[in-house]
This record gives sequence, structure tokens and C-alpha cells, in this order.
Amino acid sequence: MDENNATGVSDVVSYLNEAGCSVSDDQAAVGRVLAGDISAYEEIVHRWQAPLINLAYRFCHDRGRAEEMAQEAFLRAYRGLAQWRKDAVFSTWLFALATNLYRSELRRIPARTVSLDEIAEPADARASDGGLEDHDRDMAVRRAVFALPAKYREALILFYFHEMDVPSAAQSLGLPEGTVKARLFRGREILRGKLPRLLAVPRLKEA
Amino acid sequence: MLEGDKMDDAEMDRILTRQDEIQPSSGFAASVMEAVRREAAAPPPIPFPWKRALPLGALAAIALIVTVVVAVFAATHPGSGSVTPNLSFNPVHGLSENGLDSALTWMGVALLAAFISVKLSMRLAGSRT
Repeated sequence: MDENNATGVSDVVSYLNEAGCSVSDDQAAVGRVLAGDISAYEEIVHRWQAPLINLAYRFCHDRGRAEEMAQEAFLRAYRGLAQWRKDAVFSTWLFALATNLYRSELRRIPARTVSLDEIAEPADARASDGGLEDHDRDMAVRRAVFALPAKYREALILFYFHEMDVPSAAQSLGLPEGTVKARLFRGREILRGKLPRLLAVPRLKEA
Repeated sequence: MLEGDKMDDAEMDRILTRQDEIQPSSGFAASVMEAVRREAAAPPPIPFPWKRALPLGALAAIALIVTVVVAVFAATHPGSGSVTPNLSFNPVHGLSENGLDSALTWMGVALLAAFISVKLSMRLAGSRT
């Protein structure tokens, strides 16, 4: 399983293929759980634990909390298995449920963030004439996303988690695609406004 | 400007697509399954006592309907005598004749109803424990 497929799951079929299973395996496992075979749920947990934990991690940037939230998501999915309508792929339903849970958890206890203004003023003096090193710049951009207002942050998190697939992000958020696109546009606009130097500087290593 | 924006978006995409990845801790799946088994073993939630609640609910609904019908009838036929229901049917009427203020009477009736419903609820709750 490559790095991208471990975290983002835009193409569910290819993710499952690389994990050695198929969409129908989920359906079969759910059928067995609903018939009373609880151990069949372990298959589902093993299959989806990495994406669910990584999605939670993108929301909170705290490993321990990410696992706690993912565990709660699996538990809620177990309780609501009978409500999964088989016209949607199981993973779509699971991600929507998890996203909903993560968003409400973070509204209840917000993750520790820094303000956008703090990020906009790089501590490194090189930023004014040459820009930060790649790593520092990447970290600054990620922190800036984390400091965005929730609705833009959530849209960006889901968009990149689903490997830049707007329909998947919209399904996970339970929002129309147009709304997600508008939030992505506005979120990027805020980021560009706050991080002009970080994003505009030429990358010397690539020159 | 547009070209610059596209460059910025591409750069942002490059940075944000490449996120840190974490691996689930070794005991994660076991911990989830333990929670799931606990959940499955827990007794089902206590169902709402419809058998007890339905007759009481029906009684309350009938009382409400009768009260509304009497009140509407009294309001639309103020001077009617034998055609309308006998006003002595209404306990408030009798009490008002005795000189008590009607507002106080209604308050008394409401307090009595509240007291009865609290007593009844406590009795029902007590019988379950």
C-alpha cells in the first residue's frame, strides 16, 4: 500500500485492491455482523483503521485523540450498521459518519491552534529575503490550514484527504458539491492572503 | 495574476496532499473490538412502558377534548339554557358562584392536577425499581 492510499481514499476500489479485498467484502462482513457474528466486525476495523485514524489526525493533530475519535467512530458505525443503506459504498457511509463525529467532537473540545496572524509572521529572518526552507514552509502552510475557521478548514481537510476529489469530500461532509467548492475557494483565498511570501517565493532547489 | 494564482494553488496542493501519516497503534483494533463486544453484551435499553402510558394518555386526551368542547360550546352559546350542557357540570362555575375568584379557582385546579401527576409518576417510577 503506498503512502497516498494509506491516508487518502479517493479511489476506494484501488485502496481495497491494494489491501487485498473488495467492496463486496465490506458488504459480506456487515451481513455477518448483522447476523450476529461480531468477530466479522474485526475485518472492517482492520481494513479501515488507518484511513479513519489519519482522517481524525488531520482534524486534531494529536495522535492519542485521533485514535480515541476513530474508536468512537467504529463504535458508532457498529451501532448503526443496520442503518447503512447498501445503495452507497460502505466506506462512503463510514467516512460520512466519522467526519460528522470528528467535527462535533472538535466543536465540543477544540484542538489547540495558533492564530493565522501568528503564522503570517515567520520567525525566521530569511523569510523576508529568501523564504523559509521547504520543510518550515510546508509546516507553516499546514498550521495555517489548521488555524482557518472551521467550515473552510473542514472542506480543505476532506478535499486533501480524498486526494482532491470534490464529490467524495462533499459526501463526507454531507454538503452539496457547490458549497464545498465555494468553501475551498474561500479557504484558499484566506491562505493566500495570509501566506503570500511563503507561497510566492521561488523554490531554489527546483530551479 | 491568474497564472500566479494557479501557481499558488498548485504549490498549496503539493504541500497539503503530502501530509504526515500515522500508523494505528498495535492494540487499536483489539481495543475497538473490546468496546464493540462490551456494547454487544450490554442489556438492551429499557423500553418505554407503552402498556401503562397508553390508557393514561387516552384518558388525558379525552379529558382535554371534553374540556375544549365544553369551553367552545359555552363561548359560542352564552345565553342558551337547556340546549347547552348544564353549566353546573363545570366545577369552576359552582365555585365562582360561591364568590371565589375564577383565576384562583383555575390555579387550584392546575395545582391539584400537577400534584396528582407528580404523585402518579413517582408511584410508577417507584414500582419499577
